Amino acid sequence: MIEMTKQIRATASKLLQDGQVDVFIAWEKGDLEYQTKPFFANSVDDVDKIIFDEYSIHNTANSLLRFRDSKEKIGIVAKGCDSRGIVRLLEDNQISRDRLYIVGVGCPGLKDPLQAMLYNSGFSKKTVTDELADKCLDCIQPNAVIYDEFIGEQQEPRAGENRFSKVTELENMSADERYSFFEDVFSNCIRCYACRQVCVACNCRTCIFEETKPQWVGRETSISDNMMYHLVRSSHMAGRCIECGECERVCPVNIPLMLINKKLIQDMSDLYGPYDAGMDYVEGRKPPLSVYQENDPDDFI
Amino acid sequence: MKILKTAKLETVFDRLADALELYVPMVRGPQSGFYSWKTYDEDYDDLMLDILNVYQPPKDIILPQTEKLYDFKQDGTEINLEEANEKVEKKAIFGVRACDVRSFDYLDKVFLTKGYVDEAYKARRDSVTIIANACYNPGTNCFCDSMGVSPTEIESADVTLREYGPEGYVWEVNSPKGEEITKLIADLLEDDEVQLPELKPFIRRINYEGVPEKLKDMFDHPMWDRASATCENCGICTYLCPTCYCFDIQVKSWGDEGYRFRCWDSCMYREYSEMAGGNNPRELAKERFRNRFLHKLQFFNERYGTPLCTGCGRCIVVCPSGINIVNIIQDIKEAETGA
Repeated sequence: MIEMTKQIRATASKLLQDGQVDVFIAWEKGDLEYQTKPFFANSVDDVDKIIFDEYSIHNTANSLLRFRDSKEKIGIVAKGCDSRGIVRLLEDNQISRDRLYIVGVGCPGLKDPLQAMLYNSGFSKKTVTDELADKCLDCIQPNAVIYDEFIGEQQEPRAGENRFSKVTELENMSADERYSFFEDVFSNCIRCYACRQVCVACNCRTCIFEETKPQWVGRETSISDNMMYHLVRSSHMAGRCIECGECERVCPVNIPLMLINKKLIQDMSDLYGPYDAGMDYVEGRKPPLSVYQENDPDDFI
Repeated sequence: MKILKTAKLETVFDRLADALELYVPMVRGPQSGFYSWKTYDEDYDDLMLDILNVYQPPKDIILPQTEKLYDFKQDGTEINLEEANEKVEKKAIFGVRACDVRSFDYLDKVFLTKGYVDEAYKARRDSVTIIANACYNPGTNCFCDSMGVSPTEIESADVTLREYGPEGYVWEVNSPKGEEITKLIADLLEDDEVQLPELKPFIRRINYEGVPEKLKDMFDHPMWDRASATCENCGICTYLCPTCYCFDIQVKSWGDEGYRFRCWDSCMYREYSEMAGGNNPRELAKERFRNRFLHKLQFFNERYGTPLCTGCGRCIVVCPSGINIVNIIQDIKEAETGA
């Protein structure tokens, strides 16, 4: 990864120097060895701070939303999941391809800096482990799917046949057990909206949860408002979630959000697939629920 | 010295929980916070007295995230209001760290001083006895002493526990409320002389001196662009902060009836500063970010003479973008200004 960092810096340096990009999105180190964080390099002087290491887990694609109304040209490092996020934004017309210079990477699977922070701060009895982040264990595409330049080696997907095993467990519960499971996990929600903010599929300019006239979802941290929030958000993810796992990773109360997303991914694949969102970019193509076709299955309505 | 042996903790909890609502720091499933001892399940919960702190601060015990104010019902041309009249029970919070005790002092300033007393808050606050747990071993992201909080000498505690070793705690009574609660368990305490540990040095340090004054001229400083660039504008830092107290008043209604409630709000949300008519004075993410730090480090200090930060370090631990308030204070100190 040291070699990859060198190559990324060289590319960033060249792009910023030549004025091919105005900003280069990657990661930098925080002040702790296990803290890597998102970073925007604005000039050649910033390039030395860029790093790609075992904690470069944040989805860079989400950062592109900050630039959707401006004209900057943007360089961006993209792992497999990040690149699927870029495809999401391109399909959703949030940014145009010609503004981007994508440095694709093959991702060996990463560790979670948030978990390391938690385990090292005295806020947990657990201590640092050397394990890959949960989101990386279910990865179906570690390599960038869209890029102008590819750095590093192609990596093998890590998801095995267990990709949907937790969904199956959930499906095998009785309706009452399932309800009580969801009641339990959603009652913990503190409505910080971090899951929405880090989500590349959550790119609405005004979120339904911010609307006040009418107020679609109440602001109480009650089980009914919390469930409404998560139900509405997850249904907006159907066919659009690119499985980067950021929502679940950042959740401060560990709600198993990817379990819900995976159920929807499986359903979408069964109904309209096989389909996995953002696996390649075809100009003009839309995700399944963004289009209408006469032969769509409709027996569930 | 009065000593509480670790082996007797659960007996003490049972005894206290018979007399009042007792909150104890625990890991509960995937999260940690202060939960009622009555709900303790030894197969599921894990007591958290031997580690630094719990993730969720005790703030919601005195300032619940959602709090009903009154019910209303329309009857013809009449409207009937019924106040919520929350029944406030006596409470004790066991094992609170100095940073979180100090946060109660700051919430008190907001809800009880400057000519207005929030009665619902006051009732809950008065009902609480704080059994603090002195810190001798600060964590990686702790910086309470830099924010003027002593980790071991805890002014507003009713009782201060001092862990002298795995065997037990010194039980130090600091107030009449503390004496009251001590009576309930006096027979479970022992007399002994023990050696207290030395306070270990802090890893994170920052000098807050001069920061509020300097910030007066930094509203338009370019450092806010850099510092806020990667902020996701989520509310994690505000909701896990022991001192953030902003709230909204909202209503839920159906047909002719409903209720009004107070709920936490976060300055990180766009809706927070949106006005009737749609204008938003803090439309940009940077503006919301800047406001959060100016409130903590400048505005609150101007009004109450102290920063609105107790150095607990939670925001540093939880921020998805790795934003660090200590580094921001450092940036402010190092920033070049016209002055």
